[in-house]
Amino acid sequence: MQQQIRSFILTSFLFTDDESKLKNHDSLLEQGIMDSTGVLELVGFLESQFGIKVADDELVPENLDSVDRIVAFVGRKQPAQSRAAAAV
Amino acid sequence: MTSFLPLADRLQASAARTPDAEAIVHGTRRVSYGELWAQVRAVAGYLKAGGLDRGDRVAVLLENSVEYVAAYYGTLAAGGVAVGLNASARAREISAWLDHCGARVLFVAARHPDVEALRARAHTGLTVVTVDASDDGDWKRLLASAPADVVPVGPEDTAAILYTSGTTGRPKGVTLSHGNLSANNASIIQYLGLLPSDRVLNLLPFFYSYGSSVLHTHLATGATLVIENNLIYPQKTLARLADERITGFPGVPSTFALLLQAADFSKFDLGALRYLTQAGGAMPPATIQRLREALPNARLFVMYGQTEATARLTYLPPDRLDDKLGSVGVPIPGVEIEVHDETDRPVPVGVDGEVCVRGGNVMTGYFNDQPATQSVLRNGWLHTGDLGHLDADGYLYLQGRRSDMIKSGAHRISPFDIEEVIAALPEVAETAVVGIPDDVLGEAIKAVITLKPGATLDAMQVQRHCSEQLPRYKVPRTVEFATSLPRTSSGKIKRYQLAGTAAAS
Repeated sequence: MQQQIRSFILTSFLFTDDESKLKNHDSLLEQGIMDSTGVLELVGFLESQFGIKVADDELVPENLDSVDRIVAFVGRKQPAQSRAAAAV
Repeated sequence: MTSFLPLADRLQASAARTPDAEAIVHGTRRVSYGELWAQVRAVAGYLKAGGLDRGDRVAVLLENSVEYVAAYYGTLAAGGVAVGLNASARAREISAWLDHCGARVLFVAARHPDVEALRARAHTGLTVVTVDASDDGDWKRLLASAPADVVPVGPEDTAAILYTSGTTGRPKGVTLSHGNLSANNASIIQYLGLLPSDRVLNLLPFFYSYGSSVLHTHLATGATLVIENNLIYPQKTLARLADERITGFPGVPSTFALLLQAADFSKFDLGALRYLTQAGGAMPPATIQRLREALPNARLFVMYGQTEATARLTYLPPDRLDDKLGSVGVPIPGVEIEVHDETDRPVPVGVDGEVCVRGGNVMTGYFNDQPATQSVLRNGWLHTGDLGHLDADGYLYLQGRRSDMIKSGAHRISPFDIEEVIAALPEVAETAVVGIPDDVLGEAIKAVITLKPGATLDAMQVQRHCSEQLPRYKVPRTVEFATSLPRTSSGKIKRYQLAGTAAAS
């Protein structure tokens, strides 16, 4: 999951596949990687890719402002069964 | 006609009246009028001690912040010309603006990615002052300068230059006099009915005319500006509106579209909001309706303006929103509007033509560009390039623009500027950049490219190249490759065709 999220951010917002350009704890806001339409694109990607639904009040930096936070957020959101399926 | 009052004098008056009132709130910082005025006087003192003469240009390359305001007003107080530059621009554009206006001093954020490249421009006689919060930085030292008094100015003296969507080859610097700013400021304060008790939440960049007008009008009134620099997390913005008991909220159509799309207004106490303002392009009636339903107690002012007219030209009184839906309203106090035909004569009511305006807010011209100035300031009128008509009651309805300018979010973007950057890629034969409809931004940027024989290039390479040379909002969202670009018989690229449909590839 982490790799898919990294790859989406690298290609969509940094226009590169150079892995060194993005650290997992980087603040996407402070690094200037994220803007207001970017965050909506990111949410669209997370919803379609991981089968989750992001509520309005979950659109906060605590959930979305770094790769690490996004991974943890998606992990919390995914139903137990899909985690089990992913583990197979 | 209102009397002439320069911006620095108005801020000084606010500071004298209510020195302890909050002027600016940014993050956890709260700066009073007294503190802000002390900073302005220190900046003015620093500039004058450094030999700044009346009319010398001072560039301010900072995001919205207390420091932006202190540097800008300090420049005005020192008799200089304040040039607010786009804080997200890169060295390529910034250098062109600095050269064009002959700036003597540049205030730049210490963390700007191009700060070293800009420092290297000392040979042009430019003094670079970096701005950060550190105790041993340029800015803190500068604030210890002996304060200076305001240099008296007249209405004809130049106050500010705003660079609008020109190209790097030919920047367009709208030149505004102290009289222009004074006149527009007074009109806006009057029709919005601004009060010292107002608290505005501002997301709009101060280096654009709309944000600039929000800044100047609220400081002149002695109101409070709460600065937020992005709308990435709409919940945070709404929480800020509630917590700070915000009374006024200006936006462009995408501001309101983003908020309505991503947040439930009813979860926040927005009872203090008494006015919303909207400019920067037509907002769809459906968005207007949803906004009014979400905030029934706030009065919504739909407005229209142009940088060349300082900021504001018309407003639609909120109680006419229903019977004049789709109109941008009537001229603000001190402004006259006519619609002219191709021969520059006024047309009858209801007939479309070019919107022409005059008033104390109309710029003195484009900086050092007489031909461009003469092309818009003719026969005593500013020719806006916008098309529209007036109805029998004098309400203005806009129908579009003559130019190819792309409107995306709060930005006006010249396609030529992006084309210039893409064309520098060795693989590219030809390129055309257009705006395509976008639900949130109004328009999104699309680039269509033809390649040289045998060359290969992918979309991501183009976007990366653009992101290194251009601010983020100018990077094309979509890149398409085509075998040829559609042209008119005279060889001009048919942009509307590229914008309307996917290019043949």
